[in-house]
Amino acid sequence: MADKPADLVQGSLYMPILTTLAPEPMHGYGIAVRLEQMRKGVFQLNAGSLFVAFQRLQRAGLIRSEWKATENSRRAKYYVPRDQGRNRLNTETREWGGQAAAIARILEAS
Amino acid sequence: MSLLRSMADGLRSLFRKEQVGQELDEELNDFLEMAVEEKMKRGIRRKDALRAVRLERGSLEVTKEVVRSANWESQVEACWQDLRFAVRVLRKNSGFAAVAILTLALGIGANTAIFSVVQGVLLAPLPYREPDRLVTVWLNNFRLKSPTDLSYRDFIDWEHDAPPFEKMSAYAWRSFDLSSPGNPEHLEGREISATFLSTLGVELALGREFSAEEDRNGGAPVSIISNGLWRDRFGGSTTALGKSIVLDGVETTVVGVLQPGFRFGTDYADIYIPIGQRKLVDANDRTVHDVACIARLKRGVSLSQADAQMNAIQENIDRLNPDTEQGLGAKILPAKELLVGDARSTLLLLLGAVGVVLLIACANVASLLLARSAGRAREFSIRAALGAGRGRIVRQLVTESVLLSVLGGVLGLAAAKWGLNAVLATLAADLPRSDNIHVNASVLFFALGVSIAVGFLFGLAPAHRSSRVDLQPSLQEGGRGSTGGHHRMQSGLVIVQIALTLVLLAGAGLLFRTIQHMWKADLGFESRHVLTFQVGLSPSATKTGAGVRAAYQQLLDRIRQIPGVQGAGIATEVPMTHQINSIPFWVDSHRPASVAEAPRTLGFITDPEFLQTMRIPLIRGRFISQQDTINSSLVAVIDSELARTYFPGKDPIGRTITFPQVGDYRIVGVVGHVQHWQVGFSSPFMQNQSYVSIYQVQDRWMTTIDTWTWVVVRTPLDVSIMLPEIREAVYRAASDQTVYHAQTMAEIVSESMSPQRFPLILLGSFASLALLLASIGIYGVISYSVTQRAHEIGIRMALGAEKRDVFRMVVVQGLSLAFAGLVIGVTAALVLTRLLLSFSHLLYGVGASDPATLASVSAVLIGVAILACYLPARRAMRVDPMVALRYE
Repeated sequence: MADKPADLVQGSLYMPILTTLAPEPMHGYGIAVRLEQMRKGVFQLNAGSLFVAFQRLQRAGLIRSEWKATENSRRAKYYVPRDQGRNRLNTETREWGGQAAAIARILEAS
Repeated sequence: MSLLRSMADGLRSLFRKEQVGQELDEELNDFLEMAVEEKMKRGIRRKDALRAVRLERGSLEVTKEVVRSANWESQVEACWQDLRFAVRVLRKNSGFAAVAILTLALGIGANTAIFSVVQGVLLAPLPYREPDRLVTVWLNNFRLKSPTDLSYRDFIDWEHDAPPFEKMSAYAWRSFDLSSPGNPEHLEGREISATFLSTLGVELALGREFSAEEDRNGGAPVSIISNGLWRDRFGGSTTALGKSIVLDGVETTVVGVLQPGFRFGTDYADIYIPIGQRKLVDANDRTVHDVACIARLKRGVSLSQADAQMNAIQENIDRLNPDTEQGLGAKILPAKELLVGDARSTLLLLLGAVGVVLLIACANVASLLLARSAGRAREFSIRAALGAGRGRIVRQLVTESVLLSVLGGVLGLAAAKWGLNAVLATLAADLPRSDNIHVNASVLFFALGVSIAVGFLFGLAPAHRSSRVDLQPSLQEGGRGSTGGHHRMQSGLVIVQIALTLVLLAGAGLLFRTIQHMWKADLGFESRHVLTFQVGLSPSATKTGAGVRAAYQQLLDRIRQIPGVQGAGIATEVPMTHQINSIPFWVDSHRPASVAEAPRTLGFITDPEFLQTMRIPLIRGRFISQQDTINSSLVAVIDSELARTYFPGKDPIGRTITFPQVGDYRIVGVVGHVQHWQVGFSSPFMQNQSYVSIYQVQDRWMTTIDTWTWVVVRTPLDVSIMLPEIREAVYRAASDQTVYHAQTMAEIVSESMSPQRFPLILLGSFASLALLLASIGIYGVISYSVTQRAHEIGIRMALGAEKRDVFRMVVVQGLSLAFAGLVIGVTAALVLTRLLLSFSHLLYGVGASDPATLASVSAVLIGVAILACYLPARRAMRVDPMVALRYE
């Protein structure tokens, strides 16, 4: 297993994908590149984990997909967040912020 | 919402596989192509870019597989594949499949049949509205430590004191002679409160319940009749309402007709009349306890709350009526307990036993599977070599075993339906609520659930073992796979089978010995050649006490004149018919403070010849005689038990025994004790018996005595010859008299054993089935081992072993398994048969750890084990050393 350094735990991909999609719909490769940029290129995303995550998010009703033309006029499947997905992202972000603040306070106090 | 979406998406990709696959293909291709293009923009050659992308992102095919298998529908698909493969495998091994399916069908079938009985009798709710709130209420006699019926006065007081019930109703047993319309017939009936049906929450088919005015003394004579009687006597016409029927010579108006199939308790009743109209003597006498009470708990009131409240009410009644009620409390039980009774423990016992049979069947099939999987070792190795994970192989094997068990279950269900009909045809009478037993939806679910569970049970262990293949040796040419482990496991299974079989055999053996002992037991009377029946006396004869006395005299005289009759008598109870006439009494003048605290005796009102006719032996003094009449002093005969308990070491003859409300009796004789309850089983109270003359009974009791009086006739002639003669004699005495409940005493004795006979028959059949399965199990293992060891046996013979030695070696191998099973089985039996004791007094004359029974069932098992080893041992003897060695 050691030879797959940056293989991600499934759960940890969902929120980053939602965050990536928040400004505008993107296709799979676009999302992969954006995620890699966000993580400062430490790793390359495995297509399998990525597409499993897409499928799960779709089935959970958080995103949907549509075929559209790309900037260099090819056809690609674009992922679009649903309202439910946006709401989830907001709550999770808020909760995470709260937790981070709490931890920071504990660290300062000690 | 998201679950629905996931289902819909999954179904779409299951049924529109092509399209979904294509979309994924296209998308993934795009994805990888974009990655390649990006690399090429950085000046990498396409060939190298493709390679790099494959390394970094994963190849197209692998990714597709990963994405697809992340979904639930891929599991469904894999199962479907496994299933198709399993069907192919079983069809290729149809002999094995047939044996396994048959074995499982027997096990599952027996379980399904017993479960449907348990379901119908114990689990199904009672057919009344909200049956969980229905309770029965009893008096609790602290001295007898037993719940008893109550007096009608008690009921009236309870009702008055606002108990914790929404509704309550009294009911009492009563039979009637119906003389019009149609032929005279004796019918079972009940006296009920006006609220009886509404307490149960049951609707009438026609008409109405009794009104409160009708449910009291002096009310108009009315009745509610059963649906069957309505069809019989009124042709099912709605004009029956308002018509009259003649009951015991009294015209009563029919005001209601019950739903078809309505019954309360285990036996049918055709006629219901208001209990409030009973004679004032009976209605006001607090010492006559002949009324039962059913009630519906108020919503939200628990059983224990209600019990406490009722006890408080009864305490108050005790205080107001100290001379009859002191020492009485109240007791509340769920209605189901009354209606199901003793059957509960017996049925659970049988369910346990039949579960054991299923375990044995599972062990057999597991053993077969093990033997077969040894032969499939190469197949599994190849699968493993091609990349099948261990889980995947286990899943394939478990799919095969579940397929087997479900097929077995389907066949078993058919067997259960057939077997159930057979069981019900012979044993329905021994079971309460037997008309409620069907193969219904819950039985189907049970069978399906058991089948699947069983498939896992016997499939997992062999599958687990088979999946642990060591690739190297079993792929090599001529490899034999890992048979040593298989063999140990198979031997273990056989030992378990034998142990379980022994437990079942021991249980059946103990019941068998019980019935044997019961047949041999001394009943205290001679049951052979005795005929019993009841007579509904002519209504014209029962108007006065003198009339009844004369009618019985005349009736008995006529019967005694019939050629072949050696004796005839009457009594208010005959043994083993569950009739109780429990009378409080005291000796000399030792009257207790309250009648409820007085000891009780089983009172028999008889004619002078009853005791001789039954051949109950006289121990001291004399029998009741014809000279003891209404005009002479009261005399009684007591049994040896009463004499021993209340006159220890003294002569009871000449002493006085007092029955309250009846009088002081001089004891003139002591007779032998009679087994009045089931053979060998004592009621927790009332072992004492006493006999008084019917010709000394006061008039006020005489007029209703015929409904509970039995005639006994001793004759060596057959019933079929005797009964018509007797009917003839009864009709000649008065043409409107009916003869009913005719039975021989031997039949009654035999019927009284049904609580043992019913489980014996079933447990016996289960034990035989277990024995058969276990012997197949031993045979299978030994036979398989002989095949595996042919080579070794060949070498032994080549080295000079005699055929005898080989034969012995094989038999000893089988017997050592059998002995190991016996040791475990006997230990388990010693623990488990104690259940028989603690359960429902099933055993008589034999201890739970009876050594004779254990020894004989062990002998049977050893015998069967030797038989099962015989064939393979003979085969081993015939092994030709040359042939066996040449294989190498």
